[in-house]
Amino acid sequence: MKTEADLLPLSPQAARAVGRLRPARKIGRQIFVFLAPFVLYGLFLLYNGVNPWELYVSMVRSAFGDWFGFGETLIKATPILLTGLAAALPARAGLINVGGEGQLAIGALLATMAAVWLLDAVPAAAGIPLMLFAGALGGALWAGVTALLKVAGRMNETIASLLLNYVAVFLVGYFVHGPLKDPHSFNWPFSPEIARQLRLPVFDGTRLHIGFLLAIAFAVLVWLVLAKTGTGFRIRVLGGNRIAAERAGIRVSLIYAGVLLAAGALAGIAGMIEIAGIEGRLRPTTGATYGYLGFLAAWMAWNHPLRLLLTSFLLGMIAVAGNELEIGSGLPSSSVHMLMALVLFFLMGGARGRKA
Amino acid sequence: MENQGSNGVLLRTVGLTKRFGSLVANQGIDLAVKAGTIHAVLGENGAGKSTLMKMLYGVYKPDEGEIYMDGRPVTLHPPSRAREKGIGMVFQDFRLIPAMTALDNVALAAGSGWRFRRGSLRERMLEISAKYGLSVNPDVPVWQLDLGQRQRLEIVKTLMAPNVRLIIFDEPTSVLVPQEVRAFLDMLGLLRKDGFGILLITHKIDEVLACADEVSVLRAGRLTYRAERDEGWTAERLVSAMLGERTPQPVTKRDRAGKRPTEEARRSGHPSEEVPRPEPRFADMPPEALSRMEHPSEETSHPGCPSEGPGEVLRLENGAIAGDHGELVLESVNLTLRRGEITGVAGISGNGQRELAEALCGLRRLKRGTVTIGGKPVAGGPREFLEAGVACVPEDPLRESVVPGFTILEHMALEGIPLRRRRMGIDWRHAREALEASEEARALNLAEAGRRADRLSGGNVQRMVLARALIRRPRVLIVSYPSRGLDIGTVHAIQRQLIGLAESGTAILLFSEDLDELFKLSDRLMVLFGKRLLGPYDPAETDAFRIGERMLRGETA
Repeated sequence: MKTEADLLPLSPQAARAVGRLRPARKIGRQIFVFLAPFVLYGLFLLYNGVNPWELYVSMVRSAFGDWFGFGETLIKATPILLTGLAAALPARAGLINVGGEGQLAIGALLATMAAVWLLDAVPAAAGIPLMLFAGALGGALWAGVTALLKVAGRMNETIASLLLNYVAVFLVGYFVHGPLKDPHSFNWPFSPEIARQLRLPVFDGTRLHIGFLLAIAFAVLVWLVLAKTGTGFRIRVLGGNRIAAERAGIRVSLIYAGVLLAAGALAGIAGMIEIAGIEGRLRPTTGATYGYLGFLAAWMAWNHPLRLLLTSFLLGMIAVAGNELEIGSGLPSSSVHMLMALVLFFLMGGARGRKA
Repeated sequence: MENQGSNGVLLRTVGLTKRFGSLVANQGIDLAVKAGTIHAVLGENGAGKSTLMKMLYGVYKPDEGEIYMDGRPVTLHPPSRAREKGIGMVFQDFRLIPAMTALDNVALAAGSGWRFRRGSLRERMLEISAKYGLSVNPDVPVWQLDLGQRQRLEIVKTLMAPNVRLIIFDEPTSVLVPQEVRAFLDMLGLLRKDGFGILLITHKIDEVLACADEVSVLRAGRLTYRAERDEGWTAERLVSAMLGERTPQPVTKRDRAGKRPTEEARRSGHPSEEVPRPEPRFADMPPEALSRMEHPSEETSHPGCPSEGPGEVLRLENGAIAGDHGELVLESVNLTLRRGEITGVAGISGNGQRELAEALCGLRRLKRGTVTIGGKPVAGGPREFLEAGVACVPEDPLRESVVPGFTILEHMALEGIPLRRRRMGIDWRHAREALEASEEARALNLAEAGRRADRLSGGNVQRMVLARALIRRPRVLIVSYPSRGLDIGTVHAIQRQLIGLAESGTAILLFSEDLDELFKLSDRLMVLFGKRLLGPYDPAETDAFRIGERMLRGETA
């Protein structure tokens, strides 16, 4: 790391290592880091009898070729962006929130409860914001458990938030099998459909709803708070050097709790958007894997909210390509998770030592 | 031992030199260790003891010079080679794995091949333990052992290595309680009788007097003194070899006669050249408040403590402070900081400096005792101390104060310059203007405000952290090693700033390892030794030699 290098005399080997990276090689390395996962995944596709080139071309085409495809990509990217923010914001304060998955689920649960039980007859202008609030509240509550364990119990937030994901999924399962089950569902585990007026407005000719605008607005908001405000300043100080933050009199526990609650609210909103924008009702699998994909996107973006716009779009693209893959080749769509993982590994490996 | 070399000299170094960049850590060291003797290496912190030992244990490769074992030239780098040649080292921070049992730790070091021969290892371990009085239960996990037991285990581990002949002990007694020290020295005697060569790194003169056969003293990277027991040595001779021929300096720059007029001059609107500063912010207190706080304290009865001090600002009473592992580092500490006074704290590092400084910054809760600032008890965390007007300059600013990626300006905003809001954000332009207008930043020659602090040199970081503390004009300043690693010009600038700050009314607690600096700046001196804070002493009535002796031997000296 840079700081140590400044302090300690460089050993000859280290000095050579520092001098080794010339600009041309740096660019070459970045191209390699970007292409390598696609090449590796291509080998996997070839082995399974799929032409990787065709897949990649159709992937780009489906994402940019027509409005519907573009919309599909944005639909996938929206929850990834929000759960990505739920990982990125705490990360800037030095916390690792892996709980996006559970926070999204509880957000979706509370949003559905509000929609089904309270807002059935409420007009859109009041109903949608209230449902959004319920979703945010659900996510924040769930993250609040993690925050409490972290601040009062001195437990590790990574483990706590991860384990709570499973609890959240079972909690949703309990509700859709029990109190929140649709009486007309022929015993399928899902909630009643939410009222028509509570569905998010959709762009013509696509399934794209205004939720993605909301997500982008939140990304910009998080960036503004982090980059411009005093609170953001303190969050970044804490994330950069906890001892320095303590020495400066920053209330560490307060910030920890605050960013976790905010993160939960963001993930909870993702859950609400899934309900109100796409599914219309709560299922045990609503929003599954989006929490982890968001975590991935946040890491790929080095926890920068604006870069997150790009990485969540990229992951959205890959996820849509997964559908293509299943239809076209018979490989399960989840096999694109391999590609996502490869992209992440190479990005993180390629950026080693760059951060400081 | 059977294979001793020429006239019993196990290891000899000739002209050993090690440089780190421009710093010469060791210069031309000639050292000889005989089998069956204890060779003590004495020196202050930073004198180069550790560098020397690390060369002998193969951690560092010498830049110049040769090492001979049994009269033949050898290369000891890397440590595996040094171990092969029969050199063992007992580190100050033990190389043990807490989750594993004592026996498994030994197996890790001494076992070889694929199979763990726990049975035979245990036998040898118990045998060695019994022989040298190093009782360690082989089946207890290391985390349950106290520091003394861990050290014994570390020694057993070293002795279990095949063909070990020379053992280096790095400040071995620093982790031991007094009773254990006796047993440890006895154990060294047993090792000596069995023909081991022993290198004992220490800064405690009493230990050298008690057990060493030969002593080498290092100062600033060079050997300044070497003697054998028969040649006769005295504590006085060793102290002066360690500390150098520092002449006692009873007169300081800050003697009272000189200080008053300066302050008067400033008050009457003729600022002296040294103190170009406006009225203090925190330090300025109404006289009634001061007189209210001024109750007679036991310190005032000390001869070295003038009772006419303008008023006490911070008071630590009967404090007990625990270290990182819950062990008691300081007890019954009484400390009073007065307005406008610099209290210097001397002591070999590791005697509780960090813990005391952290306790006074709110980073470390007191185990017992109370802190009162301005008459009010302060018990909370760093925030409460900050609000009470305490500023701190930590021992290791790079680790404790620098936020990676942040600029100097942002660092200044963190504790020094008060931030103004601008719409929903921070008014950075105002902060920058405030920084550029600040006398302190200019006097300390602060680097450009937009530079990233984590890429600054150690000296620039030090300047930044100091400027930040000074800009706040705190009521109390706790400053640790302000001139460590800095060039003489910067050191003088910093010292002038500290004096100026004190004259504007701040109470300063100054930790330093530089006795000259302490004498030059302090109104009162205190010494950390053996879990106690000794003193205060009046710098005008004592001298570097007497303080040095207290640092090394406590009040018995």
